[in-house]
Amino acid sequence: MSKGKIVSIHSFRGGTGKSNTTANLAAQVALTGKRVGVVDTDIQSPGIHVLFGLDETKMGKTLNDFLHDKATIREVGFPVGENTGDAEGRAQLTGKNLWLFPSSIRGREISQILKEGIDFNRLNEGLQSTISEFDLDYLFIDTHPGLNEETLLSIATSDILIIILRPDNQDLQGTSVTIDIARSLDVPHLLLMVNKALPKYDFAVIKAGIEAQFNAPVAGVLPLSFDLADNASNDLFSLKYPEHDWSKALRGVAEAILAAQ
Amino acid sequence: MNQDILDFLRNTEIFSGLADDLLQTVAMSATSRALAAGETLIRKGDVADSLFIIKQGWLKIVTEDSKGDELILNKCGAGEVIGEMALLDSGLRSASAIALEGANVLELSRAIFMDVLDKNPKVAFAIIASHSERLRHNTFYIEKAIDWSLKTADGDYSFVESTQPLSADARANGDKAAELLAAFFTMVRKVKEREDGLKKQLEQLTFEIDQARRKQDFEEITSTEFYANLKEQAKTLRQKRNQS
Repeated sequence: MSKGKIVSIHSFRGGTGKSNTTANLAAQVALTGKRVGVVDTDIQSPGIHVLFGLDETKMGKTLNDFLHDKATIREVGFPVGENTGDAEGRAQLTGKNLWLFPSSIRGREISQILKEGIDFNRLNEGLQSTISEFDLDYLFIDTHPGLNEETLLSIATSDILIIILRPDNQDLQGTSVTIDIARSLDVPHLLLMVNKALPKYDFAVIKAGIEAQFNAPVAGVLPLSFDLADNASNDLFSLKYPEHDWSKALRGVAEAILAAQ
Repeated sequence: MNQDILDFLRNTEIFSGLADDLLQTVAMSATSRALAAGETLIRKGDVADSLFIIKQGWLKIVTEDSKGDELILNKCGAGEVIGEMALLDSGLRSASAIALEGANVLELSRAIFMDVLDKNPKVAFAIIASHSERLRHNTFYIEKAIDWSLKTADGDYSFVESTQPLSADARANGDKAAELLAAFFTMVRKVKEREDGLKKQLEQLTFEIDQARRKQDFEEITSTEFYANLKEQAKTLRQKRNQS
């Protein structure tokens, strides 16, 4: 079995900046020289593939084709380091070992797929063969919000689970259940990341409050940023604006991922 | 003697209330100077040898900040006297004065000014009275600022509620002491707002998690056959990974 780690990124509700965070974390880890894969599980909504410069016209085979034995995993992997284009941030990934594995699975089609027999073992084998075929150090999975069965499968197979939440009670409530599930499924590394914190608040207080509440580490508190909202849709923000507070805090989360053994 | 200059001097703060003969002495001693826009009248650091009464136009009183950039301390217009303090205490110019537009000033040399003071104690008295009033006025504001500082340090913001905002009036009158107090008041109000915001955040951070709902949601997810299988499979997977 490969030593590559599966990193699931999850949030209880939508709108936490999950896809953007996943793409930037994967890019930061790839920048350190690690071999990194990103599984995009929701191609229909404006998502992670756009951040990596992949549009529908360039998209070839998907994870669906792989799971139905219609394509090899080699054919599905989109080499980001060879297709960085002229986007200022993404260009820094030129020559880096980073692959995107797009999926055409839509949220509402998942129950159908599950009925067809995509069970834990098959998903895990798929992920493991992805890791071994590309000799990956890290495979990031951008999961669906909420706790549907597909998300539970992702959590169950994860080595590292990152839960993104905003500092409000509704996210806290949902996160509490996800943490209980992750502990019940013996996920080895659980990291919390607070996103969209209003800059006027004391981030140290937020971090301490949430860590005390859940007895779990908060790897970073990232500010709500209009710069990010303006620039995030078509490039990797933390690469384009490395000195921005959001980017600095994000690199802290990437370091926590690299530190998890 | 130009009647205009006499009328003008009568309306200045420093010479108002003087008898006509005294005003005439001052008026005759003063020389008129025209300034082009941007022209420097007083240079910071120079030895003070005269005072100026602005007849027409606006001047800015400037110094430099720590980076050497221009910092405007004040703007002075018709009727205002500038440069009299350095004359009285024999000091150097503490700031520069530069014309913002074409301006006219009356210059009164130190020798003549002192001579006028010497011969006309009423002028000296008028200046002393004017300075005393300014001092008394400033002392009131300084005392107020001290009182508010001590209260703020103790976290007592009750005065914020019971004080009328002063800023608009103070700016209109060009009253520096009142402006300082208004700025101080604004600062305290903003500090209070930030403190309130932080308190609110701290309240939010005593995050209310509904533990009964948390347990119920957890049980709903974990009570299915799907989950039981998943947990078993995950357990096997972890064991395998640990062995490899």
